[in-house]
Amino acid sequence: MNPLKLVISGPVGAGKTTFVQSLSEIPVVNTDEAASENIGKATTTVALDFGMMTLDGIPIHLFGTPGQDRFDFMWEILCEGALGLLILVSGDRPQDFPHARRILEFITSRIAVPFLVGVTRQDLPRVWEPEDVAEYFDLAPEFVIGINATSATSSLLATVRLLELVEAYDPYYAESLQGNYIFGQ
Amino acid sequence: MSVGKQEALQQALTALRTAIPEIRGALIASTDGLPMAQNLSGSEDPNRVAAMAATALGLGKRISDTLNSGALTETTVTGTNGQIFLYAAGGKGVLVVVAAAGANVGLINLEARDAVRTIAAVL
Repeated sequence: MNPLKLVISGPVGAGKTTFVQSLSEIPVVNTDEAASENIGKATTTVALDFGMMTLDGIPIHLFGTPGQDRFDFMWEILCEGALGLLILVSGDRPQDFPHARRILEFITSRIAVPFLVGVTRQDLPRVWEPEDVAEYFDLAPEFVIGINATSATSSLLATVRLLELVEAYDPYYAESLQGNYIFGQ
Repeated sequence: MSVGKQEALQQALTALRTAIPEIRGALIASTDGLPMAQNLSGSEDPNRVAAMAATALGLGKRISDTLNSGALTETTVTGTNGQIFLYAAGGKGVLVVVAAAGANVGLINLEARDAVRTIAAVL
């Protein structure tokens, strides 16, 4: 079976690189550079994160995007031929919700791709619940999930949920994309 | 960034353009994609050019690393109408030089590599 492509996007500091690292079975290809602005962490992704995993024998390629708007061309490039999109947003940074919504709209208005919103840092005591974030995003609750991106199990559950949404969106979606995404063949 | 630093970077760009009048523009960005000094002649958005330079350099670094080619020093994008040269300026910056197709690549490399040493020292 050809590999499936999933894209992980969202604002700076949402946990995109961590998510890919938690799931990847190979050393993650990342493009972290020293942050020259104050973003609450030392480094930031400037091109992409790339990781690979297998689920029920199916190879899955994970692509993490940069979070800043100035890298919006990478959102589009990486989402080409994607089977699903996971938008991560930190549950303890509600000030980032509007940005996460803009990223979601930017991508889905250009590329029709099924998506799931992941609310990260669910391991923290004071954090937004996925139900409340769904209300903010004006989405049905099944499109939003709580995640602890540092946990492989939690990240895997989110991946499975995203694949379920893809199947609900169109049971033949993966097959229809097979010709479009042949990376790693 | 301090005013002195900003001025020194701008001076390095001016010197570069004086040395090679045929280049279409030059820009210095941080490795995380923010413009620090620019001398672009066209309608290009410096913010976008800076972000793209950081992306290309970041990806180039990983390619160089994966293929055991050491630390990345330069990478080039060539189109039918122009050429874009990207130079790592120490660990913190990237110098972008935009030239028309058919420009003197040897001269550009010579002058830009010189400029990069100055820029790296400033950063």
